[in-house]
Amino acid sequence: KMKSSLMHLVPPVSRDRIISHFPKWYTPEACLQFKDHFHAQVRSACQQRNTGTVGLKISKVVVVGDLYVGKTSLINRFCKDSFDRDYKATIGVDFEIERFEIAGVPYNLQIWDTAGQEKFKCIASAYYRGAEVIITVFDLADIQTLDHTKQWLEDALRENEPGSSFIFLVGTKKDLVSGAACERTELDAIRFANEMQAEYWSVSAKTGENVKEFFSRVAALAFEQSMLKELEKSYGRMAQIGAGNLIRIEGNSLETPESNAQANCC
Amino acid sequence: PQELPLEAEDHQHQEEGEEKEEPGPENAFEKSPFHLTAEDVYDMSYVVGRELLTIRSEPSRTAQLQFKIVRILEMLEALVNESNLTVEELKMERDNLKKEVEGLRKECPAGKAEQLSLGPDKMIIDLTDPNRPRFTLQELRDVLQERNQLKAQLLIAQEELQCCKSGLISQKEDQAGPVQKESTVCNPSGSSKTNEEKTIIKRLFFFKSGK
Ligand SMILES: Nc1nc2c(ncn2[C@@H]2O[C@H](COP(=O)(O)OP(=O)(O)O)[C@@H](O)[C@H]2O)c(=O)[nH]1
Ligand SMILES: [Mg+2]
Repeated sequence: KMKSSLMHLVPPVSRDRIISHFPKWYTPEACLQFKDHFHAQVRSACQQRNTGTVGLKISKVVVVGDLYVGKTSLINRFCKDSFDRDYKATIGVDFEIERFEIAGVPYNLQIWDTAGQEKFKCIASAYYRGAEVIITVFDLADIQTLDHTKQWLEDALRENEPGSSFIFLVGTKKDLVSGAACERTELDAIRFANEMQAEYWSVSAKTGENVKEFFSRVAALAFEQSMLKELEKSYGRMAQIGAGNLIRIEGNSLETPESNAQANCC
Repeated sequence: PQELPLEAEDHQHQEEGEEKEEPGPENAFEKSPFHLTAEDVYDMSYVVGRELLTIRSEPSRTAQLQFKIVRILEMLEALVNESNLTVEELKMERDNLKKEVEGLRKECPAGKAEQLSLGPDKMIIDLTDPNRPRFTLQELRDVLQERNQLKAQLLIAQEELQCCKSGLISQKEDQAGPVQKESTVCNPSGSSKTNEEKTIIKRLFFFKSGK
């Protein structure tokens, strides 16, 4: 009864937040996984609405990087479809919540925007905890900011369990650099991304280029990951009390070649 | 000042204005106004008083008294002008120094602090500066925390409002008790809040318990 009333609390998501096919990577040279479809187990769970509490699922995303690289603009482009030419420094931390429907299941991203200023580091770092996704941002027109991404990532990783977060490296302000300059910087960035075990994206908050694609990719990866965790947990519980066939079959499919491929690809 | 026997009319002495062996009370009138001392003023007052007494018996001495009074007024004029100038100069100098100090503070706050024999990690706060730091880190943390909580509540309320508007309630009214349900949807602070709702908010702020 409580659940049914809750379902009605969530209005339908807008059409461009509905993800039914697994969104593609930006470059194969720095990408977290190559699959173009959802994990079989996740797909079947979604179809059977066997999603547990996933309807309430919120994944935490933190966005870090130097001051002025365009973190706030990136988030605003995606969440509000707006761009502000004027600069307004972020005080401490801010967040947006973006609602998706992925494989037919409602899903939320809570996107934490942090201030790049040194003086706010001690406040912002408390918000890094429990991040399913860490997005490190640099300015394609300011190569120094790329150098600093490693430090930002290190700070964010320190607050999280090893291997528990997806990492993205994003070059912003693509509109400000020529095609050739962008390609040159991307070579460096891809090298960085591989060292950081991150997926690389070039975007522009001003023109909106690749912004929606990027966040869809983030949402899909985070969604799949948290679904797998959820299913693994419920399988564990069920196995303890000697669950029925259905669950056991799903539990077995965890060991399908697909999940192995995922582990190998990067 | 009265008992000074030597009447050496030494002009150099007067120029220097140093009160060595003073030649007599009359001498005060000869001095530069800028070298006058309180003693000299007493001398002058003594001389003027003496002149006033003699004027009764010798009216011809009026001119002498007049001369002395004019001299005193001249000195007063010179002193007043001078002191006004000095005040102006001091004000200008003060303003210049202020600017210089401000400039130095901006340029090298750390070095300055060390010069003032503060520790290297110390800072000087100008209490008259309206933009001076006043809030602690904890206060900023709390304000941010509160703001984020309010924002989350706002987002939830907005969604609920959207549901109300888009007629999702009426669908639900068909399924369950209408009045009860409506309050669930439209009243975020209502007691009928579900556990799940609370966990959303909790999830949003699970970092809170940290550091
Ligand atoms: N041309 C261009 N300017 C951008 C872009 N993204 C951000 N900016 C500008 O860069 C400045 C800093 O952006 P902001 O998002 O506030 O940076 P933050 O400090 O990382 O949050 C602002 O003046 C933005 O208008 C972009 O994609 N293209
Ligand atoms: Mg910002």
